[in-house]
Amino acid sequence: MLALLKAGNHQMNVKPKHSTNWWVTLVCVLFGGLLVLGVAYDAPIYQRPIAKITSVRNERPVKQQDEFENQDATVHQRINAVLINTIHKGQKITLSNTYSRSGAMDQPYRVGNQVFISKLTRGQQSNIKGPKRDTVVALLTWIVISLLFIFMRSAGFMALLSVGLNAVLFFLAINIDLSLKNGNVFVIFSLISVVFAALTLWLVLGWSRQTVITLTATLSGTALAIVISLIVFALTHERGMHYEGLQYVTTLPRPLFLAETLIGSLGAVMDESTDIVATLFELQAERPDVSRNQLFLSGRNVGRSIMGPLINVLFLIFVADTFPLTLLYLKNGNNWGYTYMMNMSMGVIQSLISGLGIVLAIPVASFVASRLMKKRVMTDDNL
Amino acid sequence: MTTFSVLALLLFLAMWAVGGKQGAIAFVSLGVNFALLFLTIVLVQFHLPPLPVTLVAGTIILEVTIFFGNDDDNSTTTAFYASVIVMLLLLLFIVPVEHWAQVAGFGDEDSEDLEGMSLYIGISFLKVEICTVVLSTLGAIAEAAMAISSGLSEIETQQPTITGKRLFGDGLNVGKQIIGTTFNTLFFGFFGGFLSLFIWFVGLRYSIGEVFNDKVFVAELLMVLLSFIGVLITVPMTAAVASWRWHRQPHQSQKQPVVTKVDVDE
Repeated sequence: MLALLKAGNHQMNVKPKHSTNWWVTLVCVLFGGLLVLGVAYDAPIYQRPIAKITSVRNERPVKQQDEFENQDATVHQRINAVLINTIHKGQKITLSNTYSRSGAMDQPYRVGNQVFISKLTRGQQSNIKGPKRDTVVALLTWIVISLLFIFMRSAGFMALLSVGLNAVLFFLAINIDLSLKNGNVFVIFSLISVVFAALTLWLVLGWSRQTVITLTATLSGTALAIVISLIVFALTHERGMHYEGLQYVTTLPRPLFLAETLIGSLGAVMDESTDIVATLFELQAERPDVSRNQLFLSGRNVGRSIMGPLINVLFLIFVADTFPLTLLYLKNGNNWGYTYMMNMSMGVIQSLISGLGIVLAIPVASFVASRLMKKRVMTDDNL
Repeated sequence: MTTFSVLALLLFLAMWAVGGKQGAIAFVSLGVNFALLFLTIVLVQFHLPPLPVTLVAGTIILEVTIFFGNDDDNSTTTAFYASVIVMLLLLLFIVPVEHWAQVAGFGDEDSEDLEGMSLYIGISFLKVEICTVVLSTLGAIAEAAMAISSGLSEIETQQPTITGKRLFGDGLNVGKQIIGTTFNTLFFGFFGGFLSLFIWFVGLRYSIGEVFNDKVFVAELLMVLLSFIGVLITVPMTAAVASWRWHRQPHQSQKQPVVTKVDVDE
């Protein structure tokens, strides 16, 4: 908070013009807060019945022990609730719930929780389908957007816009994929990636020669990594790849895995290419006499200090995600090798392929930038 | 040879070729981080308290990610302090949010994977979920902290007399330049991994209301949003740590630039 206030004072002191902007930001932030509050009370717009819990009585815990000697306990809850939407609004109902101490697929409910319940039928108790979670999503989204505007001003708006547009594109791409009955999900997402990259870079950099160079570098770096991986797949006959370890698979797993890897690494490769190309443009502006070779080497220098952290970003995302299931496997008496194979191995391979993309993009971006930038200087001279 | 070993070998060679010794060390950092992640799970499996284990492992992961493969002491130390503080601050968000959202463990979509398994394992999945979120944000925090602190170290080298306040403002400016691409790295990183889940949702015609209350989806979305928050706190925090460290130790920072300068001109 202190940092936040400091930043505010700093900006106001230097450029008094900004004080009106601060009012706009404040109003936007407060308005967003009201929207979050609205989501907390949005039960009437749902068609599924929602009940608010008014009282909970816990029974005594029952000890549980499984064949692997894991000790746990379950608690049965008797719940009174009142319906807060549909035509039965205001009706009092009784519900029941059982939760375990570990809570793998269940959870305790407390007074005040809003829960989705099954349709009401006479003489039968409804079941709890799950808690209403939209409010916490809205709250966090609001916090992100507020922080973006407070710290980043207009840059924050562009970041938000590009993420938002990409989310829309993502949704459209999935729809296209599903509407093409025999379409290959990898081919479709490869084509969509080009659009993703072009749109994102356009929003971040504007439409310029720099954007075109960055885009070329991003696409060729990613494509190179995928092609190399495909060759490796063919040469090693995909030994040690366990597609059965992938989650939520409803189509052919192999193209799906490739599409996931492609999309997963795209952002990081763009990030890196942007940094490299931007630095080289700056260097060229400061020292117009710099040679192509020097540009190439400088690009490599920029790249090699960021590649390690970037690969780690993706690696931690891909692997940490498998934590709960890995733990469950270990607790169910599976050995380390089998647990790794079924849960983590695909994430690790995904990280390796993404890593290749991130590393290869460095020479590609440096090369493309050093060649294409010099061309521009020559045409400028001719003019 | 397995696909894994060939790909790992290729990645090592590529990182070595492009980054030299620095690149080779960065490759080692991946291996060390993997070992740390696996060790964390094993320790949690033996009923050690998940959160303290994660914080210790997380600090080491940050250390490995930041210090391995980067020679510039001045900016790495700043980035490390800042990212550890951010990890602890972010925990203040993560713990209440995960308690409230109730997204720990598995959802209906996981049923197939869970067939025949005992779910009553006696370890709180809520705590495990908190650890998962903390660990998955660390890479992004480390990367953002490095970007800001190396940018500031560059500015500080060129203007050693710069005031702490100005340095802080410059830190926010560097943050503005990286925020767009960093958000996209995280967006694609997370959503790429969950492409199959989204195909599931669209294919089975989940309504918007169902998606935004679905356990698995909300868990994933919260992870993305919490990473965004992590990066957003990292920017001013790194700027603050930089202005505090370099402002308080003028003698040391006058010596350090020589090292950075050599690195840049190389």
